[in-house]
Amino acid sequence: MGGRPRIPRLPQYFFRWYCRRELYEELHGDLEEFFYERVEEKGLRRAQWMYWLDVIKCCQPYAWKDLESQNSEIIMLKNYLKTTYRSMRKRPLTSAINILGLSFAIAICLVPYAFVDQDLSIDQFHENKDNIFLATYHADRDGDVRYYGNSPTPLAEALAADYAQVVEACRVQDRQVVMKNGDRVFHEEVRYVDPSFLKMMTFPLKWGQPSALQDVNSIILSEDMAVKYFGETNPIGSNVTVIFDSNNTKTFAVAGVANELPKAHAISFDFLINFENYKISDPAYDLNDWTGLVDATLVQVKSPEDISVISESMEKYRILQNSVVEERPIAEFSFEQLTTLHERSRYINNDISFGSREEGWVILSVLGLFILILACFNYVNIAIVSASTRLKEIATRKVMGANRRGVITQFLAENMILTLMALVIGVLLGSQVVLPWFNELFSENLELRLLDPQLWLFFISMALFTGLVAGLYPALYIARFDVIGIFRGSVKFGRKNKLTKVLLCVQLVLACITIANAVYITQNNAFQLSRPWGYDPTNVLYVGVNDQPAYDQMRFAVAQNPNVLQVAGSSQHLGTDSKTVMLHLPDRQYEVSEIAVEANYFELLGIQLTEGRLFQENYESDDQKVVVNQLLVNRLEIEDPIGRTFKVDDIRYEVVGVVSDFHFDDFDSNMVPTVFKVAEPEDYRYLALKVREGTTHETHDFLQAQWLAIAPELPFRGGFQEDVFDGYYEYMASGSKFMRAVGFIGILLAGLGLYGLVTLNVSGRVKEFSIRKVLGARVSSVAAQISKQYAWLCVVSLIIGLPLSYYWCSLLLETFFVYHMPMNLSGAFIAMFILVSVLVGVLAIQVRKVAKSNPVNGLRAE
Amino acid sequence: MGRSHIGEFEELVLLTVGVLYDDAYAVAITKAISEQSGRSVNVSAVHKSLYRLEEKGMLASRLGDPESKRGGKRKRLFAITPFGKQAIDQMMELRTHLRSQIPAMAFNWKTN
Repeated sequence: MGGRPRIPRLPQYFFRWYCRRELYEELHGDLEEFFYERVEEKGLRRAQWMYWLDVIKCCQPYAWKDLESQNSEIIMLKNYLKTTYRSMRKRPLTSAINILGLSFAIAICLVPYAFVDQDLSIDQFHENKDNIFLATYHADRDGDVRYYGNSPTPLAEALAADYAQVVEACRVQDRQVVMKNGDRVFHEEVRYVDPSFLKMMTFPLKWGQPSALQDVNSIILSEDMAVKYFGETNPIGSNVTVIFDSNNTKTFAVAGVANELPKAHAISFDFLINFENYKISDPAYDLNDWTGLVDATLVQVKSPEDISVISESMEKYRILQNSVVEERPIAEFSFEQLTTLHERSRYINNDISFGSREEGWVILSVLGLFILILACFNYVNIAIVSASTRLKEIATRKVMGANRRGVITQFLAENMILTLMALVIGVLLGSQVVLPWFNELFSENLELRLLDPQLWLFFISMALFTGLVAGLYPALYIARFDVIGIFRGSVKFGRKNKLTKVLLCVQLVLACITIANAVYITQNNAFQLSRPWGYDPTNVLYVGVNDQPAYDQMRFAVAQNPNVLQVAGSSQHLGTDSKTVMLHLPDRQYEVSEIAVEANYFELLGIQLTEGRLFQENYESDDQKVVVNQLLVNRLEIEDPIGRTFKVDDIRYEVVGVVSDFHFDDFDSNMVPTVFKVAEPEDYRYLALKVREGTTHETHDFLQAQWLAIAPELPFRGGFQEDVFDGYYEYMASGSKFMRAVGFIGILLAGLGLYGLVTLNVSGRVKEFSIRKVLGARVSSVAAQISKQYAWLCVVSLIIGLPLSYYWCSLLLETFFVYHMPMNLSGAFIAMFILVSVLVGVLAIQVRKVAKSNPVNGLRAE
Repeated sequence: MGRSHIGEFEELVLLTVGVLYDDAYAVAITKAISEQSGRSVNVSAVHKSLYRLEEKGMLASRLGDPESKRGGKRKRLFAITPFGKQAIDQMMELRTHLRSQIPAMAFNWKTN
């Protein structure tokens, strides 16, 4: 029957494998009859597919082979289980090293999995994610094309009006306000959005309807905020007061509360109110003004392809925009899809999402892989060496009729059993200990979604990987043994296997890298701790105020306090607030940050003058003078900065002084080119205070008390200057703690592997050592005998490992730290020292054992 | 053979075997049940019921001749045993009996 359609082979094999022999003919006949009929009716493809389904559905007890009596493989498998159990009991130490090592490795590997999984699923819960796009633009800033995620205010309305493909468009704007419900008053960020926001982004609501945003008097809260302001009760219908600024206040009715968001989200909100409210909070704001920017414009189109049509015709908006805003021309408008926004966000400035952490993926995965390899190699090595103690078992099996395949199956099966045990322990360890610990260290919220099929795929592939990597070679190796040689006693395998040495070498190299990693990160942490900020934050406090009367009252109050040594006013303040302005030079424009200050601000914060002069107290003519930082001078490549002039907002300023560089934010942010100008007293919004040593906390309490008297309805906005790095040092400490833990596990695994190897090696040479001792060998010569082959291995590993560690660590520091310590060799040497001392320790334990043993017992053995 | 209880699907299979008389094998039964009851039935479910009914003694079976539409394989043909007939009859009787006991009131939904 040449022309007959073919039954797919794979399911047929499967069927034949599970189906009882005497039923095969009739059962498969039925399936075949269906198959040929379906080929006629529905075509080959569908018939094949349905055949697959049938085979799977028929896989039920009625069709199964009677396992015990029919299948010798099952009987053998039972036997393998038994021998596995026996050999584990016989050598509990090496089994424990194997299983626990693998479990640890698997537990560690769960961290990168959870990390990457979370990053990839961010914002994927929105139903319309494929059709939602963020409007973006490219713009040339001083020769540097930058990518921005905000957009001109009228763009959303223009897009909705001009294109039929645009289903919804939405403006998004964030603003700092004060939120008040009774005595619960806090600074918060509200998000102004068009009512379409909740139609496009499917944030599930716990209470209320998404359409509630149509009402300009409604507010929607996140679950956290509902709890913060109203406790656990349903707040629908309650009122909250939003204080936009001292003149504008509005009461909103709570119309909705969002469900707790999935942990993987980048776009979220605390409070949502209708965009129309922007006019209330800022009456001067013109919603049709192309010079104005909103934080985001989101559009939803009918199908993802529509967006290319729209983006091709964005030119008209670009022309319109650039004719209004000449000083910041836009090069091109474009769009970013919500599905990939999170991945791309790292390249976008000022967008409402945040970027994925690909460096994190790489480093966590690499470290996880290192540990996994270390554990696997332990297994391989111990399996090879311990094969020598199971030679008789293997030979007997072969004599009894086991073929090569049988022996390989046995060892692979044994291996899979161990791997599965390790997997179970590892998953428990990972999900119950390692992940919670990691989450706490880095205040992440990684989770293992145990129902996710992808997770099981990951588990299975990891078990197969470790099982095969760790088991294949030992299995093949053992199966090669020559039976007669073994019984004669002329075969001595395992002692001097080359692969064992190579693997041990790789292990030591990996251990070296993980330790060096830990050492360098710890060193760098110390470096960051001692790194100067560029100014002196000790004994400095600051308070932010809303307007001039509040400033004057506060200033008056602190003047009475004997602990306050010095006070300076400013419009912006280091570490909390700055303004971005455009410097106009004759030939170029340059974006810098601007801080307007009182003359003594520099002295108070200890900012060092390097050239020229600072502002003079009560000196009117300093109005159009500026002090700049060194970085600005360097960036603009000015030879002689003093006396140079440039324009900001059409006012000409002259540089009178240069101060040394300082870190505005923590060390993770780049330093910014900054200009200082003299602040008008009515613009003072911050007080910086230098207080007497040891009175910072006292003064902080005093400031809070004063604030309560001056503005009881507003929350206090102030703090210690030393706190402006906000958790930075804690985060750094967590990072180095994590690296140390990984380094510790790395060296532990390598140490355990070596220990197991040496133990097996020494136990096989008991007679030799005993004879040596009887003949008068000293401890030192026995020690040399044992250590000789490991010593040169260590040397080779270090020669390879140290440069690799150095290279890896400098790469690491370069990637993760904007300002890292200069690389040095000391870290590599400390790592070497740690590694060598652990190895020497492991060897010393063995040598001691041999040295202490009585040679008579050794000779009597067997 | 104390277990004379059979499930609803098994009952369908048993009846269909009787209906198809001389050509009662899994494929034909599957199709007949699908057609007559209008539900989608998989051959594996029919297999399972057939073997179980045979085990209970309600069906007997023999192998047919090889057929080319089955890739040259023989099919197993089933037939109802006297015990099977007894089971069907009992079941039917029980049903009619129970149905006859339902008072007419129970079907009178209009009042109230």
